[in-house]
Amino acid sequence: MRFTRVHADVHEYEVFARKTRVEPLHQVGSVVAPDDDLAMAYARATYDEERWVEMMIVPKAAVISLWAPGGDS
Amino acid sequence: MGTGRGQLSLYSLVKSLADNKQLLGMRYAEWCIAAPTLEADIAAAAMGLDDIGHSRVLYGSLRELGTPDSAADDAATYANVPYLDRPWTEWSEFVAANAVLDSAFTLMIEALANGNVEVLRSRLKKMLQEEHYHFLHGRSWMREAKAGSAIDRAWRESIEWIGPEDADVDALHREGRLAYDARELRRLLAERIGGSAPAIDIDWARWDRVRRRTEPGGIDQATLEMLQGLAEKRYMPTSG
Repeated sequence: MRFTRVHADVHEYEVFARKTRVEPLHQVGSVVAPDDDLAMAYARATYDEERWVEMMIVPKAAVISLWAPGGDS
Repeated sequence: MGTGRGQLSLYSLVKSLADNKQLLGMRYAEWCIAAPTLEADIAAAAMGLDDIGHSRVLYGSLRELGTPDSAADDAATYANVPYLDRPWTEWSEFVAANAVLDSAFTLMIEALANGNVEVLRSRLKKMLQEEHYHFLHGRSWMREAKAGSAIDRAWRESIEWIGPEDADVDALHREGRLAYDARELRRLLAERIGGSAPAIDIDWARWDRVRRRTEPGGIDQATLEMLQGLAEKRYMPTSG
């Protein structure tokens, strides 16, 4: 398989965006990258086909989950 | 070519920027299924589209920028850096072009967008937003990839492309058409990439001022046909 990870240490980032100021940000996908710079470049390259007025990325490690499907809630 | 004329017009500089952007876009696109990761493949395709789009805007601005300093519009007058003459064979070459050459072209766009030529002030600003992500991509990969010799080559060709002091870039700066002169462009390039400009000895007597390079040669026939759309036409069904 040719698509191998070449970076020694990578992080997952969640990508959030919205099309108008009045709508809330929502998750549009995720990227994997070794640092914030590359994560920004990958997020923009991968998810920029729509006319977002705002896009941001968040390291997945920084997300604190309160509950999730399949968990004890 | 490149000698025996007076001051070059802004046309030649923008034409060279457009030629380089078009070729850089094509070279990026050639890596869209060959980069080390799937994400980098996608980024290569996106950056290729950006740069080809930028070249279209720059070519579209030419008729408002004076007259050509060279006559024919073929491979011999394609005013690109030698780095883009042939397809890259190593990822390190992609990284060096992305980090260094692309940044040099972006700084020239910045100089034009902040100069006093209205058509360029109004049309080039959006490019700078897109180029920011090329810069982030190049800088991050430069930290990762062992691209030493390719970086050195990209640096040399960037300095050649900016040109010597007291040539057209400095004259255009004095007229207010460019926000930066040659020395400032080199300094900003070093600052952006991180570190100081390497000591590079360039024989400016050999510098072709229209094509902005000292090395003879140019793109090959296959590249020219690709750029002109002739390569695609071979695969089109014949009519009738």
